[in-house]
Amino acid sequence: MVQPIVMPKLGQSEEEAKIVQWRKKVGERVNKGDILFEIETDKALLEVESFLAGTLLKVVVPEGEVAPVQSTVAFIGEPGEAIPEIQRPERRPQKAEALVTAGEVPQPVRPSAIAGPARTQWEVPREFQPPSAEHLPPPAQAQAPPVFKISPRAAKLAKEAAVDPSPIVGTGPSGRILEKDVAGYLKAKGYARLRITPAAKALAASNKLDLLTLEPCGDSGRITVSDVRRAIAELPQPLPRMRQVIAERLTRSFRSAPHFFVTVSVDMTDLVEFRSELKAQGKSYTVTDFILKAVALTLPEFPLVNSTTDGVNVSRHSKVHLGLAVSLDEGLVVPVIRDAEELSPEEIHLRATELTEKARAGRLTPAEMAGSTFTISNMGMLDVENFTAIINPGESAILAVSSILKQPAIKDDQLAVRWLMKMTLTSDHRLIDGAMAARFANAVKQRLEEKNLWKRLA
Amino acid sequence: METFGVVVIGAGPGGYPAAIRAAQLGASVALVEKEELGGACLNWGCIPTKTLIASSSLYAQMKSAPAMGLRVEGASFDYAALAARKDKVVRSLRDGLKQLMAANKIKVFKGTASFESRNRLVVEAQSSGSSSVEIGAERTIIATGANSSIPDFLPRHERVIESRSFLGLQSLPASILILGGGVIGCEFACLLAQLDVRVTVVELLDDILWTLDADVRRVVRQHMEKNLGIRILTGTTLENIAADSARVRAAAGQEKLEAEVLLAALGRKPSLEGLKLANAGLCASAKGFIEVDEYGRTEVATVYAVGDVTGGVQLAHAATSQGLVAAENACTRRLRKNEAVVPNCIFTSPEVATVGLSEEEAQKKGSEIKTGKYMFGALGKALANGHPVGFVKWLADASTDQLLGAQAVGAHATELIAEAATALRAELTAAELAHTIHCHPTLSEAWMEAAHALRDEPIHSAPRKKK
Repeated sequence: MVQPIVMPKLGQSEEEAKIVQWRKKVGERVNKGDILFEIETDKALLEVESFLAGTLLKVVVPEGEVAPVQSTVAFIGEPGEAIPEIQRPERRPQKAEALVTAGEVPQPVRPSAIAGPARTQWEVPREFQPPSAEHLPPPAQAQAPPVFKISPRAAKLAKEAAVDPSPIVGTGPSGRILEKDVAGYLKAKGYARLRITPAAKALAASNKLDLLTLEPCGDSGRITVSDVRRAIAELPQPLPRMRQVIAERLTRSFRSAPHFFVTVSVDMTDLVEFRSELKAQGKSYTVTDFILKAVALTLPEFPLVNSTTDGVNVSRHSKVHLGLAVSLDEGLVVPVIRDAEELSPEEIHLRATELTEKARAGRLTPAEMAGSTFTISNMGMLDVENFTAIINPGESAILAVSSILKQPAIKDDQLAVRWLMKMTLTSDHRLIDGAMAARFANAVKQRLEEKNLWKRLA
Repeated sequence: METFGVVVIGAGPGGYPAAIRAAQLGASVALVEKEELGGACLNWGCIPTKTLIASSSLYAQMKSAPAMGLRVEGASFDYAALAARKDKVVRSLRDGLKQLMAANKIKVFKGTASFESRNRLVVEAQSSGSSSVEIGAERTIIATGANSSIPDFLPRHERVIESRSFLGLQSLPASILILGGGVIGCEFACLLAQLDVRVTVVELLDDILWTLDADVRRVVRQHMEKNLGIRILTGTTLENIAADSARVRAAAGQEKLEAEVLLAALGRKPSLEGLKLANAGLCASAKGFIEVDEYGRTEVATVYAVGDVTGGVQLAHAATSQGLVAAENACTRRLRKNEAVVPNCIFTSPEVATVGLSEEEAQKKGSEIKTGKYMFGALGKALANGHPVGFVKWLADASTDQLLGAQAVGAHATELIAEAATALRAELTAAELAHTIHCHPTLSEAWMEAAHALRDEPIHSAPRKKK
C-alpha cells in the first residue's frame, strides 16, 4: 500500500523545515528505522527516520526546499503501485516577506524595491501575470491591477540595454512605459557614454544586472568582466536560515529589553589550581562547569534574575534551566541544561559535555534547545579581556565570561601575579535594578573564589 | 653619491623598457647591467635563436622547393656564416638600445649591483681597472631575469652544454641529445633537425610541450617526428650519462643513446647572485624568486620586481609589460595592475601560439566552455602557401560567449596570435569576432571561421555532428 511520508512536527515553534538531503533515492529499499532524509530547522540539523518499510516511490519535496510540518514529502510503497497525484504543499511566505500588513495588496516583490540603492538585479515583468497558486491575490481583491506596466517593445529595449526599467516614468495610458520612455531614460542617464566590453555586457545581461549601476575599476575606464563579476558577487544573497533566525531573535531582544551591564573581576587562581588537582586525580572539569554550577547555586537566591518579563507581567521560574552558548561555524546554538540547581558539578560536567558535542555535530533536538531561564556565554578560549552579551529572548539576564588571564593583582595588600577572569552580567533593566545585578554578579564571583566550596562539591 | 629617482637592475626586456618609461615620466634613471644591454633575450635567447631559425626554415623550404614547382639545386649551408649573421643581428639591436638609452638620458652603469640598504646600491665593476660606485635610489626595479643552468646530475664536460653556450658554437655537431622536451628543447630540436643534425629528445613527462592541449601537441609532435625525423622519447629519464672527448653516452630505459653533444634544456633559474637582497629587507621565496603583488611591488615599499626573477610567466614580452607597469607605479600615483592576458609563442616547426585559457585548464577549473576549431587544411591561403598543417581554436564561455582562450598551431601561428590576444583583452564575444570581416585570402580568416564554428554556424566547414 502506498503511504505518504510527512514532515515531522518538531517542536512548539517550528512550522516548517528545509530538506537538506535525501539519504534514500527513489526506487531504493527502505527499512523501518532507516534514515530517510535530513532536515534543517531554525535551530538544528536533524535526521528523520522512516516508520515504514517499503520502497521509496516518489520524492515530493526535493533537496533544498522547505515544507510545512505534517505535509507530505514523499511516498513509500511497493514498486509498481500507483502514486497519488499531489499538489506541492504551499509554503507560507518567508518571514521577511511576511511583513506586508494585513489588507495590503500583495505585490510581486521587486528586489530593487527592498534592496535599497545598491546595485540590483532586475526582471522585466510580464504585463499580465498568468494566474498561479503562488501569486493569486486574496479573493476580495481578485481585480487588483497589474503593478508594473511596460510595453513589449520597451521591455525588449531595456533588456537589450541591460538596464532596470523600474525607475522609468511611463507616459503611456495609466503610466505604461513605452519604447520612447526607455530611449529617453537611456539618453538622460548618459547611456551612450558608457564604455563596456562586449563580454561584460553579455554577462551583465544574463545576470539581469543594471549596467547603469556598474562602475569601472580598471585603468582603462571601461566596464570589464571583472567589474561585472564583482557586482554579481556583491548582490544581496539570502542569509542562511539559521542566521536569519539569530538576526531576528537578537534584534527582538535588543529592541525590547533595555540592556545594562555590570562587570566583575574574579580571582580564579585557587580554582585553577584546584582544577589541576582534580585533573591529577583523573577528574577533568572545564572552567565552564564551575561557572555553571556557581550560577545554578546563586540563581535561586535572586528569583528576578531567573524570570521573564514583557514589561507588564513577570513570570518567576521555579526551576533553573541553564542555556549554554555554543559557537559553530554557521552560527550560535544554545543547548539547555535542565534543572541545573539539582545537579552536582559532575552531573553538570557530563550534561554540558554531551550537549556541546551534540551541538557541534548539529544533532541537538529542538527540545534540547528550548526552555532556558538564564544563559552563560563563555569566550574564555578566545583570549578576550571582556565582552558583553545580548539577552536570550525569554530571559532576563545573561552572563558573559571572558578569558582567565595572568594579571597583576593585590592579594593581602601585596602586589601579586594572579589568574583573573572578567564576567559581565547583562540584565533586562525593566526587571533588574543595578544593585541587584551587582549583588548577583558578586555572589557568583564569591562562589568561584571559594576553594573550600569546590572541595566539598567536587 | 649620485642619487636617482629610479634605479633599474638588469637591462633585459623587463629592465630597459622600465628605464625608458621611468625616464619618460620625468624620473632621473640609472640602469645597471653586468653583461650586455638587452639581457638574455637579445643576446642569448629569443633573438639569436630566431635568427638561426629564420635561416634553418628557409633552408628547409629550399629542400622542399620541388613541391612548390621550384627547382633548387645544390642547396647547402655554412653554419659559421649563419652564426655570423646571428651575431650581426644581435649587435645591431644592441647598438640601437645603446642609442635609445642615451636619447632618454638614462645613465647606464656596467657592473653587478648589490643593495647596501633599501635606498643605497653599490655597483661593483667587473673589470679590474675600474672601482665600485655607490648610488642612491629612491625607487628600485629589480629585473635581473633568469639563467639557463646545467643541473648537478649532469657531468661537467665541454660536450654537455646549455642553450647559451650552444649559441657560442661555431660549427654544428652531427648528432645531438636534447634533455628536456619543453619549449627551449623543442625549438632547438626543430632548428637543428632542419640543419640536418640527427636529433633525439628525451622528456621525463608523458609528452613534449606538456602545457599545451593534446590536439596541439599531437600536430607538433607528428611533424617533428615524421617530417623532421626527430626521435622523441617521452616518459623516460636519462641515466648513466658519461662524456668523453668524442661522444656523450647515456641510457634511456633499456636503450643506449649517444651523440656528439648533450644539450640540457631543463628550465631556468632566477638570477639573484650578488644582489644582497637582505640589505634591502627582502628575501627570496623558497624557490628563489622575488615575490611581487599584481602591481609589481615587493614587500619593501620602494622596491619593485619584474620578469623572470618574479617567477611568473617566463616570457620576454610579459617582462616588458611588467617593466612598464612597475615604472609607472614607481613614478606616478595612479596604480596600474600587471596585464593578465599574456600570449605565448613557440618557434617550433610548425609554430605554436596560445593565449588565455587552454581546454585542459578550463576542464580543471570546471568552467563551462564551448570550443570552435578551423583546420588550415581547409583554408585557401594556407593551401596556396603550401602549409596545410595545423589549426586555430577558440575557447569561449558557454553562457556569455566571451572568448577565453585561443590556440594556433601551424605556419605563422606566432604572428596570428596577436589578433586573439587583442580580442581577449577587449573581452570580445565569439559573435563579435565571427562578425568581424577578415581579408580573403589570408591565414587570419581561420579565426573568423573558428568563431563561426564555435557558435555552431560554420561556413567553410561541416557542421558539428549532433550528439
